Amino acid sequence: MGKVFKGSTVLTALAAAAAGAIISATVTGTASQPQGPPDRSAETPDGHPNFNGVWQALNEAHWDLEAHEARSGMVEQQGVYPFEFAKVPAAPVVALGAAGGVPGSIGVVEGAGRIPYTPEALQIKQENAANWIDRDPELKCYLPGIPRAMYMPYPFQIAQSTNKIHMTFGFSNAARVIHLDDVTGPPDYTFMGHSVGRWEGNTLVVTVDYFNGKTWLDRAGNFHSEALELTERFTPLSPDAIWYEVTLTDPNTFTEPWSIAMPLYRRLEPGATVLDYPCMEFAEEFMYGHLRRNQLVKRWEGETLIVDITRKIPEGDALHDWYRR
Amino acid sequence: MKRRLWRPLGVATTLATILTLLQLTAVSVDGQGQRTAWGDPNLEGIWLDVYDTPFERASELGGRELATPEERAARDQARMINPGRNERSGLAARDVAGAYNAVYTSAKPAGPWTSLVVDPPNGNIPALTVEAKERADVKRDWRLMLLRNTETCEEAAPGCSGGNYGPPSPRRFDVAPFYNTSRMNRHDGPEDQSLGDRCMRGITPDFRGFRRIVQGDDSIAIGYDSGQGQGYQRVVNLSGDHPPNQVRLRHGDSRGRWEGDTLVIETTNFSAKFTFRDSGENRKLTERYMRIDGDTLAYEVTIEDSTVWTGPWTIRQELKRQSNMENRIYYEPRCHEGNYGLPALLIGARLDERAYMEGRGPDPFSLDTATCVTGLVDEQ
Repeated sequence: MGKVFKGSTVLTALAAAAAGAIISATVTGTASQPQGPPDRSAETPDGHPNFNGVWQALNEAHWDLEAHEARSGMVEQQGVYPFEFAKVPAAPVVALGAAGGVPGSIGVVEGAGRIPYTPEALQIKQENAANWIDRDPELKCYLPGIPRAMYMPYPFQIAQSTNKIHMTFGFSNAARVIHLDDVTGPPDYTFMGHSVGRWEGNTLVVTVDYFNGKTWLDRAGNFHSEALELTERFTPLSPDAIWYEVTLTDPNTFTEPWSIAMPLYRRLEPGATVLDYPCMEFAEEFMYGHLRRNQLVKRWEGETLIVDITRKIPEGDALHDWYRR
Repeated sequence: MKRRLWRPLGVATTLATILTLLQLTAVSVDGQGQRTAWGDPNLEGIWLDVYDTPFERASELGGRELATPEERAARDQARMINPGRNERSGLAARDVAGAYNAVYTSAKPAGPWTSLVVDPPNGNIPALTVEAKERADVKRDWRLMLLRNTETCEEAAPGCSGGNYGPPSPRRFDVAPFYNTSRMNRHDGPEDQSLGDRCMRGITPDFRGFRRIVQGDDSIAIGYDSGQGQGYQRVVNLSGDHPPNQVRLRHGDSRGRWEGDTLVIETTNFSAKFTFRDSGENRKLTERYMRIDGDTLAYEVTIEDSTVWTGPWTIRQELKRQSNMENRIYYEPRCHEGNYGLPALLIGARLDERAYMEGRGPDPFSLDTATCVTGLVDEQ
């Protein structure tokens, strides 16, 4: 019975699909079926994993590399209760409602799951977190640095040749070049680091240095100094997923090297591309609004932005209409 | 469009005068194959137009594309004796405004060609459309309006060309009647500044600086160093279609294909906010890259915007390979991260206003803080 029914359902669906295709062709003249990504071999002609394409991390590492519970807001304040776990959203994000919070995560830090800060650095990290809006370079649209650019919630595109691997990031039009050939280092310290790669079997191993110490690792205030050195490992899990591991060494900030690991996923939808996120202009009001002749945000007091939030209950909201009676 | 590919080689290669701090020698790179591992022509490398070439051709040269050795030597000589911003006027404000003199700007030797524009055949950009002229007039009038009470107009300096000296205009506090991308003599907020002041000067197409090409089998990344730390990244996809019309991008959406050994790139979907010679969202580019030899790329771009120009026009360059080992391209544009200039400029404007209100300083609109008095503006 079930088998017959199932068969007839399939037939019905097929017939409906065929009819739909005919109608679609009649109406638009360009009936099209969803198409997969372009044909791509798992290996390049020179025998390495083929990383060409658009990629993106799919996790909460951009919020906080360490394991964390969900938070009520990107910035919080003390609520009714004095408990740390009972905070409520603070003014800058109140108007965003549930879209202004932070999802929880099991974290991506390997081993003990905690970043081994020196005591002094841990204090700076905690101050960073408490002053996130003022301190996080992301909010100013500064170059995100490595590894942060790899797991921000924006896609990036890899162009892979024999001698170079170029990554173009949607955020801030940032990029990095991984040199597989012999080059000299940059003449100055950098935001995005200097990347030199080699193949170890199927794994792309990249060392990164020449950092200027001005980038962060996430939105939780995790940071590093200019002494940071990275070893990244890109290993294919499948043609469409990369296991991405990074070991961070920075004796100025950490008591020992530590690692994060996560998958990076290929964006498989047809037409997947990296659209530039031109945040530089988007951040101008945030950075320079207090210097306008006529301020757009009315509550700058000196250099301090005072956020007033006006929220109107929309007409027709059934619950509030009932409450008003 | 007539395609006169590509200039004959063998033009004079001796650099008679080195005017630059840049090392302009093209470097052969061992192991740089003619083709990629997957068989496409190999365009990868760091590339630079090593010559200084006039953008448009002098009218007396007519249709002649190549310069004589004497003409090139004369161009080099003229540049060497031109004081530019080294000129001293006796007025401190004007001399300070002449920062970024020759010490800060590299110059390339005069090249063998008479213009970058090669089509139309007279080497000149086609005439503006009537609408584009009207828009240009509105912008010029606006900028002159803001300058009218300054020394620049009082002295009829080049920066006030076409304008008159007079009292500050009652329109001086209005919103500009166009989307501004150039510097003006007012600094009410970031929108009054040029894209360059805001670290957004990198505009496609760019002809000035280095290009680093990294070549994948289905996309090609091009990193531009367009000067002042304002370079940018482009990705040329070798498959797929342009995104929907409402998706507008600072550098447009680039789709490439191979026509024989020539990479042909079509770019559309430009944003109205980042203009190239006042061409915004209607801009369409058709670029061509082709290897001439291991150290030379031929580059050509045809620019179309029927709302700005009465016809398409084409630029041609020869790009020379630069040392990969020395890796001198400034591939991390970080103007924005170090842009103390923009907030300092806005702070200065607020202080000038306060001083004026308190009777301690001149009317800010009597000061030229846009053209450096000399008429030099921050061109995009």
